[in-house]
Amino acid sequence: MTARNRILTAVRRGLGGTRRPPAAIAAQAAMLLDDPEFIRPALVATTLPEAFELKAAVLGTTVERVASMDQMSGSVRRYLAAHALPPSLALQQSRDLTGLDWSGIETHASIAPDEVAALGIAVRGIAESGSLVIRSGADKPILLSFLPLHHIVVLRADTLVAHLDDYAAIMQGEAQPRNAILITGPSGTTDIEGSYVRGAHGPGFLHVVMVGS
Amino acid sequence: MTAPQPSFKARTDAALADRTLKLAIDRTTDTAERKRAGAVAAFPQFEAARARGRAIKDHVIANLDHYLEQFERNATASGAKVHWASDDAEARAIVTHICLDANAKLVTRAKSMLGEEIGLPHALADAGIERVETDLAEHIIQLACERPSHIVWPAMHRTREQVAELFKVGHHPPPAADDPATMVQSARRELRVKFMSADIGISGANFLVANTGATCTVTNEGNAELTTTPPRIHIVTAGIEKLVPSTAHAFALLRLLVRSATGGELTQYTTFHCGPRRDGDADGPHEMHIVLVDNGRTRMLADEFRDMLRCIRCGACMNHCVVYRQIGGHAYGGFYPGPMGSVLTPVLDGLAASRDLPHACTMNGRRAEVCPVEIPLPTLLRAWRRRGWRSGLENGLPRVAVGLWAQLARRPALYRLGSRIGVRALRLFGKGGWISSVPLAGGWTRHRDLPRPPGRTFMDQYRAKQGRKRGRP
Ligand code: SF4
Repeated sequence: MTARNRILTAVRRGLGGTRRPPAAIAAQAAMLLDDPEFIRPALVATTLPEAFELKAAVLGTTVERVASMDQMSGSVRRYLAAHALPPSLALQQSRDLTGLDWSGIETHASIAPDEVAALGIAVRGIAESGSLVIRSGADKPILLSFLPLHHIVVLRADTLVAHLDDYAAIMQGEAQPRNAILITGPSGTTDIEGSYVRGAHGPGFLHVVMVGS
Repeated sequence: MTAPQPSFKARTDAALADRTLKLAIDRTTDTAERKRAGAVAAFPQFEAARARGRAIKDHVIANLDHYLEQFERNATASGAKVHWASDDAEARAIVTHICLDANAKLVTRAKSMLGEEIGLPHALADAGIERVETDLAEHIIQLACERPSHIVWPAMHRTREQVAELFKVGHHPPPAADDPATMVQSARRELRVKFMSADIGISGANFLVANTGATCTVTNEGNAELTTTPPRIHIVTAGIEKLVPSTAHAFALLRLLVRSATGGELTQYTTFHCGPRRDGDADGPHEMHIVLVDNGRTRMLADEFRDMLRCIRCGACMNHCVVYRQIGGHAYGGFYPGPMGSVLTPVLDGLAASRDLPHACTMNGRRAEVCPVEIPLPTLLRAWRRRGWRSGLENGLPRVAVGLWAQLARRPALYRLGSRIGVRALRLFGKGGWISSVPLAGGWTRHRDLPRPPGRTFMDQYRAKQGRKRGRP
């Protein structure tokens, strides 16, 4: 008998009785998510952008709001200057970003192991937890979000959803990428005596430019 | 395979005598306890969420065969290869074969307690493969050649000064200073090279999502993604109890897991891996393997320890356990320490080898209170004690004490009298709510404070209350 059969047989023997039809199991699973407002925290503000911003701030994510994509590159310039960073950026190769005016900043597609700053776009934002959703894909290298010390992320306000379950409902109908990640704050660790240190392996700084309202 | 361990008593005595250890444990558990309390207070829905979390896990376990098959189908459709392992030896063999077939020289690993449980570190070393632990705490204990002492903070037993000593020798160049921030930066530099040159990345899973075939892992450092993205091959090892029906169910449990573990709301990174690199993807491994491990879990499912399969490995029961906080994780001797470890280790190592563990608990119910999936830890520990007693493994004082208790319990009137005397007697030794010494139990209370019982037994108080309700004094 293969290990697979041994395990499944042992599970069935352990559970005993007749096994329920898949439809009945699915119905019970769905019921376990009923009345979601009783088992999740309420939003901390009345609008999604405000709630997102408040939650993001808790873990040290900084947020700047701009009205339109045109103003985005200016905001990134200000960020680099404020942190005294060189005018250089690993740029996600999405047309929404490469089409902008980056004069004065050297941009590149490659991501070095010691990259200082990178700019990418979030697929979505989640207000409940202040999380950004990023996904792997052709123009979406995962390492862009992990190698740099400063990770700058564009979040369109109209992609915000209220709760984690809202995001789950949306992604359920979509093709699954190899890797989907909820990013909730800059990388951190409490592994030495519980004291919190930022920039453990991933970015030590997470900056969100929220576009539109 | 492993050298014979000193007895539990010897390990405990050594741990209790080690004041640096106590200091290190307190530094982390004090913060953890405070932060968890804050997170729960800020989430008024916690109790309802906890009941639901428990129901989700119970539902999965009651239909585990269905969910295992569904997960296998969807993971396979995503391009991952699913393997099954009945025990630790099979799991080690599967992982080692994948590594050797790929001619792997360097493997990076993101922290996974299951990896420890199946003995992966040794297996890789035996196969001549360099293993690099990437979680900061695992990196510390790899340098110290130790095992994790906690399931969330594996290096909790090490003080900052001790970590500084380890990094001084293990890092090239050594860190410039020994404050945590400088040391973390040093580890970041040291491990970055390894991430980028690894042949294989191995991670665990907090959840296996049945209806997408994805595995879900949570980390704060970002080491999971750096472990699983650059190499050619990604291997996940996970226990079969990790299934959830859907991503939404995973989120319902994550809200409980993170608050209970670190007092945060979500970890910085909640990552879902689903198959290997797609055509045209900018990065990611070309192969993904998932090893589903039984190793005693189907045995638990068939008996009174089924409740333990709900465990989501948050570590709250150890942070809140007076015994754990005195002796630390290593004294327990198993891969899983603390109250949850005292239930799991006899399953994994056999009761004969771990019969002392179910006694290493004051049974004050505090761990059951904090458990986010309502696992009745005191009941399960008592079940092991009963089994040990039945199979004659208990000896000495515990057996006598338990025998006395059993005699009394079988005679309710006598039991009530006995416990009334006991309660009053205990109060005599108590100061300010905690009992610091009890005659004849010096070995127990020298390093342990028992909660001081209220002056009357529960039955006394209950009867008085009933009496008041009926208008009697
Ligand atoms: S037994 Fe409960 S409290 Fe302990 S680690 Fe498991 S889930 Fe957490």
